Amino acid sequence: MEKMSRVTTALSGSALTGRTMHCHLDAPANAISVCRDAAQVVVAGRSIFKIYAIEEEQFVEKLNLRVGRKPSLNLSCADVVWHQMDENLLATAATNGVVVTWNLGRPSRNKQDQLFTEHKRTVNKVCFHPTEAHVLLSGSQDGFMKCFDLRRKDSVSTFSGQSESVRDVQFSIRDYFTFASTFENGNVQLWDIRRPDRCERMFTAHNGPVFCCDWHPEDRGWLATGGRDKMVKVWDMTTHRAKEMHCVQTIASVARVKWRPECRHHLATCSMMVDHNIYVWDVRRPFVPAAMFEEHRDVTTGIAWRHPHDPSFLLSGSKDSTLCQHLFRDASQPVERANPEGLCYGLFGDLAFAAKESLVAAESGRKPYMGDRRHPIFFKRKLDPAEPFSGLASSALSVFETESGGGSMSWFVDTAERYALAGRPLAELCDHNAKVARELGRNQVAQTWTMLRIIYCSPGLVSSANLNHSVGKGSSCGLPLMNSFNLKDMGPGLGSETRLDRSKGDTRSDTALLDSSATLITNEDNEETEGSDVPADYLLGDVEGEEDELYPLDTEHVHPEEPEYVLPQEAFPLRHEIVDTPSGPEHLQDKADSPHVSGNEADTASLAPVDSSSSLLSVSHALYDSRLPPDFFSVLVRDMLHFYAEQGDVQMAVSVLIVLGERVRKDIDEQTQEHWYTSYIDLLQRFCLWNVSNEVVKLSTSRAVSCLNQASTTLHVNCSHCKRPMSSRGWVCDRCHRCASMCAVCHHVVKGLFVWCQGCSHGGHLQHIMKWLEGSSHCPAGCGHLCEYS
Amino acid sequence: MFLPRSIETDHKDLIHDVSFDFHGRRMATCSSDHSIKVWDKSESGDWQCTATWKSHNGSVWHVTWAHPEFGQVLASCSFDRTAAVWEEVVGESSKKLRGQSHWVKRTTLLGSRTSVTDVKFAPKHMGLMLATCSADGIVRIYEAPDVMNLNQWFLEHEISCKLSCSCISWNPSVSRAHSPIIAVGSNDNSPKAMAKVQIFEYNENTRKYAEAETLMTATDPVHDIAFAPNLGRSFHILAIATKDVRIFTLKRVRKELNSSGGPTKFEIHMVAQFDNHNSQVWRVSWNITGTVLASSGDDGCVRLWKAIYMDNWKCTGILKHHWSTVNVGSQLGN
Repeated sequence: MEKMSRVTTALSGSALTGRTMHCHLDAPANAISVCRDAAQVVVAGRSIFKIYAIEEEQFVEKLNLRVGRKPSLNLSCADVVWHQMDENLLATAATNGVVVTWNLGRPSRNKQDQLFTEHKRTVNKVCFHPTEAHVLLSGSQDGFMKCFDLRRKDSVSTFSGQSESVRDVQFSIRDYFTFASTFENGNVQLWDIRRPDRCERMFTAHNGPVFCCDWHPEDRGWLATGGRDKMVKVWDMTTHRAKEMHCVQTIASVARVKWRPECRHHLATCSMMVDHNIYVWDVRRPFVPAAMFEEHRDVTTGIAWRHPHDPSFLLSGSKDSTLCQHLFRDASQPVERANPEGLCYGLFGDLAFAAKESLVAAESGRKPYMGDRRHPIFFKRKLDPAEPFSGLASSALSVFETESGGGSMSWFVDTAERYALAGRPLAELCDHNAKVARELGRNQVAQTWTMLRIIYCSPGLVSSANLNHSVGKGSSCGLPLMNSFNLKDMGPGLGSETRLDRSKGDTRSDTALLDSSATLITNEDNEETEGSDVPADYLLGDVEGEEDELYPLDTEHVHPEEPEYVLPQEAFPLRHEIVDTPSGPEHLQDKADSPHVSGNEADTASLAPVDSSSSLLSVSHALYDSRLPPDFFSVLVRDMLHFYAEQGDVQMAVSVLIVLGERVRKDIDEQTQEHWYTSYIDLLQRFCLWNVSNEVVKLSTSRAVSCLNQASTTLHVNCSHCKRPMSSRGWVCDRCHRCASMCAVCHHVVKGLFVWCQGCSHGGHLQHIMKWLEGSSHCPAGCGHLCEYS
Repeated sequence: MFLPRSIETDHKDLIHDVSFDFHGRRMATCSSDHSIKVWDKSESGDWQCTATWKSHNGSVWHVTWAHPEFGQVLASCSFDRTAAVWEEVVGESSKKLRGQSHWVKRTTLLGSRTSVTDVKFAPKHMGLMLATCSADGIVRIYEAPDVMNLNQWFLEHEISCKLSCSCISWNPSVSRAHSPIIAVGSNDNSPKAMAKVQIFEYNENTRKYAEAETLMTATDPVHDIAFAPNLGRSFHILAIATKDVRIFTLKRVRKELNSSGGPTKFEIHMVAQFDNHNSQVWRVSWNITGTVLASSGDDGCVRLWKAIYMDNWKCTGILKHHWSTVNVGSQLGN
């Protein structure tokens, strides 16, 4: 009946208005309670006991209940409760064990009504009966709960919690006679108020103290309990055994729990230490708070929903001496800010992608950006308790794998494994690597290797077959360009440009190089030069298609004149060509130009456009035939290495660096080299290419790198004969003076890979041991040990 | 082309992060359900969950692998205001069955009074070090001086960012020419428009991290930030996920110009900006060579961006979840 009337008042009265606000109190609060009219709130603490009116914009102090000159411990409140039927009736629980009632209707300044001094220790909680006007219940640290009839001077009945401290007592809303109490040992008890001798039911709800409980306002027999174990549990008390319905894991011990009005599954919690925030949870989504209020700077001690039928206003008091009103819509929502997606690029180019299912599921009907994110789930719209829960949010995880196993990084692994970096003549290395690159479809890299070979190797080593092969593969657009293109036709633009270049910077180097080239070239063999033509041309433009036709002609014309060539416009056009646009047409060699080339050297001074441009190709001849010092190309090669590195292909940079060795090393500063080496080694190790990585470490010249495979590697070796630790260097045992590194299978001294069992110290050639172990698991030395190799 | 392989995770709530290990054979996922799961790739290519444990008391936002040199080590950060370091301990069995390994918490990094929003291990050459950032705007850098003892971590630096932080990224460069750099993104959505990406650089002289740059153009909440693997580049590439995908290059201004001993400044260029997701972008992730960027947004798609040639980025693929079509524009990875 009472409840109905309250509903009516709430519905008929004007809607609550207000905003998020706070006011400063004189002292830390321990508890708060709201008047049934939702217009006033009482704040109680050790040294504060005041009533505030909640106005639209602010809290206004109405009444200070701490009156009297000398401070009394009776006024030091641990808890306060405002009667939900009688606006004038309040009860407080004092830290000295006194339960006090207050009558605001008293005319005098002192509103104290009754004083019950029956508890021996702090009273933790007081609770009015929801429908019975004169019944007050208290729970104390001394382990007793007492029921008072306010019309009498002392308690009606005492309930014993068996010496366990009582942390909370709450009358059931559903059953007139029932109340729940929670204890420091983790138990929850249900009592019938008429049966003080023993509890109706008892169960263990938490590990450690249960600090609070709250009955569900919609009389469903649900009880929420919160404990020091950081959990909130919801129990269905209607069944024979209390059944755990939900369990919410919070981040700190739970000091207070309050069901949210009109929202069947929401409850608010606050903590008594560490965490100052107030959380509102949807018990069906127990991992993530639905809302969070972060206003308080110290522990929140009391929370109360302002009106039993209004879900949007929450009041709270705190140790930071503030009283706050929180508006639900102002709460921060961790759910909303949480990242709903995970994305990670795998090593092999595969992608792991986890996303909220709603994001990936609904394809067509998706609303755009703003609407989609800003008005989600349950609490922002008009609240409807019966609203179906969208269900636990869940994510879908997919790994997008690159097709065909190795995927998009297989080129890296293959390249790393197949490249030859040392141990052979430079030309062979370059050819080999070019071939590897080409077979992996990396034409630009292949071209680079070929060019390097051309630049740095003596021309006689070039096999024309190989070159033809490479060119045929590398160029797809060669033919049309070939036919249509003619350096002459390019007009004066290019010519003048190159001339400018040349006149500016190159003259000095030209003359300087002239002598050396001239002397060198006298020894030149015709055959060699012919061979060298092909790559030279190739260097300039890799779109060449039919060099077979071209070169014979070329050589004829060019060769005789060579010794006199000045080194022309070398670096800039070349570099550009190679590095950025391998198929640039402007350096195409043309038959028609070769005669002009011959004329070039005579015209050095005049620099006719045509001559100068055609001299481009003569550069290469000159280079070859004269075995120009590779310094000549160092700028170009250096820039190329940098280019590859900046592009993320550190593999190429390092491989070239190693293969060319001293030829380029001096042009690249030590730090950069080290950077490349370490980056590449790191990458190799990612792919578990330990052998390659070690080879790179060994071949590197950077001191910081080459010591990498020596750091913290200690081998402790036992002699295979006397089984004593070998102390001296080398493989001869100090004690038995025998060579310890004998293969147990073939009885020869092992050079190279030596594998041995750590148990018996016997071992031998890797292949021999592997073979042996296929047939037997015993040690090949016959010592009887069951060897383990991993 | 990509083949999507759907994985039943059995996480009870949203998955917030997924992370491959150094060798790409293991994967860790973390979720709002307070748990972390570790997945191992089987011979057949299937991902099998080999460990799952309740790791925190709140949503686990991020999980990340340490370099395997330090062991099988994970770090996680959570809404519960802690970050934690986990190590896989293999049982006594000599057969070393994967299933018998379990994960042990080595340390809990307290210190934040708010949600710890990201955690990242520093590049290996810096030692065993990790950085966390939290919603209260503080980046904390912890170091384990003894790499064999994962129980002991010391707070080495605290950097105040003044804005609620959401993500951090270490500059992965191994070059001695590059001092350690941390980029911090903020998802602060307060109305005052402030730059949401700050870059802190370690100063050898003061032994402190100092603010080096602020990306003034990034004023919307930033959800993810990632330096590209450096691989010998002289400059840095930084991707951010905000209302769109953005890619920046950071080139160091030469030291002579800034001899005052203050933090070296960077020349910052935005080289790409894509709003193709047409929605909030949540994550960005680089491939191993730093040539392809993957981004994911509220549209539920993953988009791949590749530098066609320097400073010119193009979309090369859109990936959708299993039931949708997968389409990749051009060859990737090279």
